[in-house]
Amino acid sequence: MMSPLDPNVLFQLGPLAITQAIVTTWVIMLLLVGSAFFLTRQLTLLPSKRQAAIELIVTTLDTQINETTGASPAPYRSFIGTLFLFILVANWSSLIPGVEPPTAGLETDAALAILVFVSVIWFGVKGSGPLGYLKSFAAPNPVMIPLNILQSLTRVFSMFVRLFGNVMSGVFVVGIVASLAGLLVPIPLMALDVLTGLVQAYIFAVLAMVFITSTVEDGQRLNPKRQEK
Amino acid sequence: MTIDFWGMGLQAINVLILIWLLSRVFWRPVAAAIAKRQEEAASLIETAEATQTKMDDELEDVMQDRAGIGAERSEILDTARKEAAATTKNTLAEARDKADAMLASAKTTIEQGRETAQKENETQAAELAMKIAARLLGRLNSAATQSAFLSQLIEAIADIPPADLTALSDDPKGIEVVTASDMTVDHKEIEKALQTALGGKPKLKFIMDPDLIGGLELRSAHFALHNSWQADLKQIQKAVRDAA
Repeated sequence: MMSPLDPNVLFQLGPLAITQAIVTTWVIMLLLVGSAFFLTRQLTLLPSKRQAAIELIVTTLDTQINETTGASPAPYRSFIGTLFLFILVANWSSLIPGVEPPTAGLETDAALAILVFVSVIWFGVKGSGPLGYLKSFAAPNPVMIPLNILQSLTRVFSMFVRLFGNVMSGVFVVGIVASLAGLLVPIPLMALDVLTGLVQAYIFAVLAMVFITSTVEDGQRLNPKRQEK
Repeated sequence: MTIDFWGMGLQAINVLILIWLLSRVFWRPVAAAIAKRQEEAASLIETAEATQTKMDDELEDVMQDRAGIGAERSEILDTARKEAAATTKNTLAEARDKADAMLASAKTTIEQGRETAQKENETQAAELAMKIAARLLGRLNSAATQSAFLSQLIEAIADIPPADLTALSDDPKGIEVVTASDMTVDHKEIEKALQTALGGKPKLKFIMDPDLIGGLELRSAHFALHNSWQADLKQIQKAVRDAA
């Protein structure tokens, strides 16, 4: 049995090793974009059931962002929503036999964590200015600057490790049980993976949201001249 | 366990592209549709509130107009009542005037009728009196009466102007001497007296006319000298009629 920690390289493209996780990511991208394009083709003022369903998704996301952070959801909707949908679909892709979820690989989770790290800086600078963003490290007082800098790195690292560990362990356990007990035995574990995948996607998205908005709020509080628009 | 940084970068790019694509084809269009519906709903609510406010104002105007209509109705009814009373009063006054006029006209007509009847009665009484008088005078037709009439005739001839007297006596057709009866007339005496009074030799012709009652008259083609009870009664009757 192949270790889930080893990437399954399908082919080499120059220095890029195209793994199964990357290909699965492309498939997920096509699936999400195609579905989104199909679902949003005919948006009308009087919504159909299909439109009502996708509007419910967006409204729920907006409500979650607003209730979690108190901020306006518009600037963060695309980033947080896409992170949630991608991680959810990636986690649930493990239910298809023979498909290795991209989030079970180090590279995908690390990339997601880096994107959260960069988005914290991006939204922090955009919301409270460069000085405000830098001042956010001095919250609640300058003594905390080293710890805040360290925290900004470790918190995204913990997100990366949490997502990777949960998804990888699920895939790993299902693989071991399937190899030992047969095809139908891992089904309860796979059902558990469905719940785990949903919870992990939700946690990753909510934590990213909290990190971004806390940085923006700290920067705006310490640099009142720059208010979030 | 190693990390493939090239693979990590590629996945980061993949996720960024996915974020961008979904932002374009999913999140923004759906959020825009929701916002548009909210705007439409807000606009509809605003329009509905404005319409309700307008309707409330119009309802208030209608209520005011209704109150005004009630007052105007009362005023019109009062005016109509007053006009009806005035019209009734005028009509009654006109009817009373007409009735008075008709009454006066009837009185006048009755008075005229009465007067006419009185005149007729008087006329009839006069005629009756004339008939009675004529009958009574007819009984008095004697020779003495005839002689008196002859004397009066001679006196009347004497009052005729000479030119007319000459024309009368020279009339070729002659002069008719009208008497009421032959019983009491002496033609020769009359002829003699007339020739004397007229002068010359007039052609005399005696005619009897009982209507004279009594008396003696001369008649020619262009002349008549009345001298009889009949002429006297006619004169009296005319005088009585003129007096009536």
